Amino acid sequence: MKEMIYQTICPGCGIGCGLYIRKNAEGKLSIDHMKSSPVNLGKLCRFGMKLPYYYAKENNAVNQVNASNADVETAIKTAVEILKDADSSSTALLSVGNTTNEEQMAFTKLAATLSTVVQTGVSSECLNMPEASLAEIEKAKRIVLFIDPYAQYPLIVRRLLTAKKNGASIVAVGTQPLNLADETLDLKPGQYDELKLDRESLIIADMHPNSDIKLAKNILVLAQKTGAKIQFMRSFMNSFGTGLSVNQENKMFGLAELVEDIELGNIRTLVVLDSDPIELMPDNEAAIEALKKLDKLIVISSRSSPVTELANIVIATEPVYSKAGTFLNAEGKLLKNSGTGKAGVDALSLLNAGIGGKAFTYDEMNYLVLKAIEAQKENRSVAAECAASDNGISSPKVLKGKYELKYLYNPFMWFDQKDDNDFVLLNRNTVRKLGLRKGGYVNMKSDRGELKMRFRVEALPDGLVLTAKKLPVATGTSTIISMERC
Amino acid sequence: MVEVGDKVIGYSTDPGVRNKGASGGLVTAILAAALEKGLVEEVVVLKHINEYEAIPIITSDVEDVLASAGSMHTVPVNLAKYAIGKNVAMPGKPCDIRGVIEQAKRNEVNIDNTYLIGLNCGGTMYPVQTREMLINMYDIDPEDVTGENIEKGNLIFRTKSGEEKGISIDELEEAGYGRRLSCRYCDVKIPVNADLACGNWGVIGELTGNATFCEVMNEKGVRLLENAIDAGYVEIEPASDKAITIREKVNNVMLSMGEKWSEKVFTEIPDGERTQYYMEQFADCINCGACKEICPVCTCGEDSKCTMYHNLEDNYRMSMFHMVRLMHLSDSCIGCGQCTDVCPVDIPLTTIFRRFADKSQKKYNYKAGMTLERPPFLEVMPR
Repeated sequence: MKEMIYQTICPGCGIGCGLYIRKNAEGKLSIDHMKSSPVNLGKLCRFGMKLPYYYAKENNAVNQVNASNADVETAIKTAVEILKDADSSSTALLSVGNTTNEEQMAFTKLAATLSTVVQTGVSSECLNMPEASLAEIEKAKRIVLFIDPYAQYPLIVRRLLTAKKNGASIVAVGTQPLNLADETLDLKPGQYDELKLDRESLIIADMHPNSDIKLAKNILVLAQKTGAKIQFMRSFMNSFGTGLSVNQENKMFGLAELVEDIELGNIRTLVVLDSDPIELMPDNEAAIEALKKLDKLIVISSRSSPVTELANIVIATEPVYSKAGTFLNAEGKLLKNSGTGKAGVDALSLLNAGIGGKAFTYDEMNYLVLKAIEAQKENRSVAAECAASDNGISSPKVLKGKYELKYLYNPFMWFDQKDDNDFVLLNRNTVRKLGLRKGGYVNMKSDRGELKMRFRVEALPDGLVLTAKKLPVATGTSTIISMERC
Repeated sequence: MVEVGDKVIGYSTDPGVRNKGASGGLVTAILAAALEKGLVEEVVVLKHINEYEAIPIITSDVEDVLASAGSMHTVPVNLAKYAIGKNVAMPGKPCDIRGVIEQAKRNEVNIDNTYLIGLNCGGTMYPVQTREMLINMYDIDPEDVTGENIEKGNLIFRTKSGEEKGISIDELEEAGYGRRLSCRYCDVKIPVNADLACGNWGVIGELTGNATFCEVMNEKGVRLLENAIDAGYVEIEPASDKAITIREKVNNVMLSMGEKWSEKVFTEIPDGERTQYYMEQFADCINCGACKEICPVCTCGEDSKCTMYHNLEDNYRMSMFHMVRLMHLSDSCIGCGQCTDVCPVDIPLTTIFRRFADKSQKKYNYKAGMTLERPPFLEVMPR
């Protein structure tokens, strides 16, 4: 077989970095830099550089029926039988944006036939569209960061540094000092006036299934009040694309609400499209227990992941890089894959036809996508509205002698990918107080048990511990723990 | 009969190739002949995607060679790593060839069965920036461009309507466009380290634009050219003294421009400020590893000195990764600019590595990637 070269975008976050995936005659994958990509000029972050591991053959999904390998026809046929019997009021569909617009559109068709909607994991209270292009970051006079760009969205670091060279002042709102920020302020929403924003300012925040919705609302209100532009970064390659087929009138739930509904028995059948609630939820164990309560779980996915282990049916699609299709990135730019794989759309068409809906083709879905993009452009002004309800932010109370273990989300964490991140961040006072030794370990305890971890010292506030990887002692994005030397 | 040291003017005998290929299609014809006559198993060429994008492919299909992109100033890739472990012929800029030679020193490339056709290079440009430049400086729609060329210090673009517009490189660079920084201070413009050194400098008279000046640098170069002549793919004639003089003159102009840029970029850092300089330069590093991965002279693989002593959990003010790489590249950095190109936080890595390597390389009169000569022990500065 000749070497295959695919032009695609990185699945690590919503920036949409262009790259090439090369597949040699032996099936070995490597990446190549696409310097003509206006989004990233060929540059890639740590996650992008490790894509050959993410896309490795052993991580590809395989068609399954009740945990046994099956051919795709059998998997689809069995899924049709399940969906025919499913009650629409207790059936949910989830896709957070890890696949093409065309598959997303096809998934919406399936949802409509099932008399339901596709949930995207983000509450409709704060659905929004890109307001600023990434290039505008470089022109802003004042930038306020509600994210850690180094860890979460590394490809905007260069734009922030350019802004700084152009004279911008950069303020980080948060707990971890950032090298590129002029100052780091640990502010509560009531103190946001201190940020001194105006129409030439830019706020950069992010929105994902585990975002604090109250905080997001407060950030939106801050932007509306001051006239500052806002750029909500998104965590998945096609997060914004999921909004194309969302009807503004439909109620969208946050992922946590969806999982709660499964726990309560309100949702009995779940269909997921390239979205793994176990990886997405902060607490793997709790998510697994919730999913076990489902009557039926159908997974349509290109990747093998924890949810494919639990699924009744797995319908495997080709890896994202080889799919035909488009994506909408964080600035609303339409990006296209060079791949030709249409297995996902074809499978969704068969499912839809099987349960009484219409069959469709990839080209039809592509047409609808392009039409939806046009319609979205026309309705741009209404999309970013979001009313603040109150100023309270849900931060846990940390008692004396306890610590707050917080997740520092990054692409590796969203996909539970292996990285050199087997340590936690804590401050020097904590190290002294606990008598920790350089190169040693700290013992972390929660209701979930104990965990021995290495640590790195950072200038964090007292009582805060950060982790860039999901830990079994954590029960949420923020968990109260105790720590001791071991 | 071709001999080492010959300087000839040549072109493809196939009118189609001659018209389509850059400068008379000589290089394309030599590559095609090398493949068809079994001199090599595969050829590395650029597959044309658009005027600002091409991707390297390794092919044994002569049609791919004939359809290849030729030389593109807006495709700043380095081809060295594509030659690893293969019996190939490849065209390349001086820095591509330097990369292959460094790979050969580390036993990754068998230089005896790797055929290198060097292409003169005045510098390459970034594709996205070039599009912007066309709009802002040339008033040309980037989609209308059908070709580009550097001639007499001017960067010339041709459009669909047949119009040609040139602006001096100095003016473009003054405005923040033009060549990549590493190309501006590069000190190898004619690839004398290749088997054949080809280009359009020195092609004069009625052959201007329709032929290539070619210097035969070694026995492999003789084989390449004779193979193509024997196959009837190319025709050559001796270069005139005037052509040779003009080629040398253009080279000297380019080298002197490079020297000026070098003086401008590599200003001395005072004693006592160097550590601070390096710490500040690397402060925004996100540890992606792209600089190592793309480096055309790095042969270490995943377990290498720079990565094995580096963990994200370390608290050093400057990472071991960069410190080891600074040392490691002091005898091998070819200044190709790839590390700077792919750095996601825009660290000017090539300049940093060149700054570190230059002092010792100059003292030893050693230039990486030019010959198979083993490097001196550059970690220790001479007295």
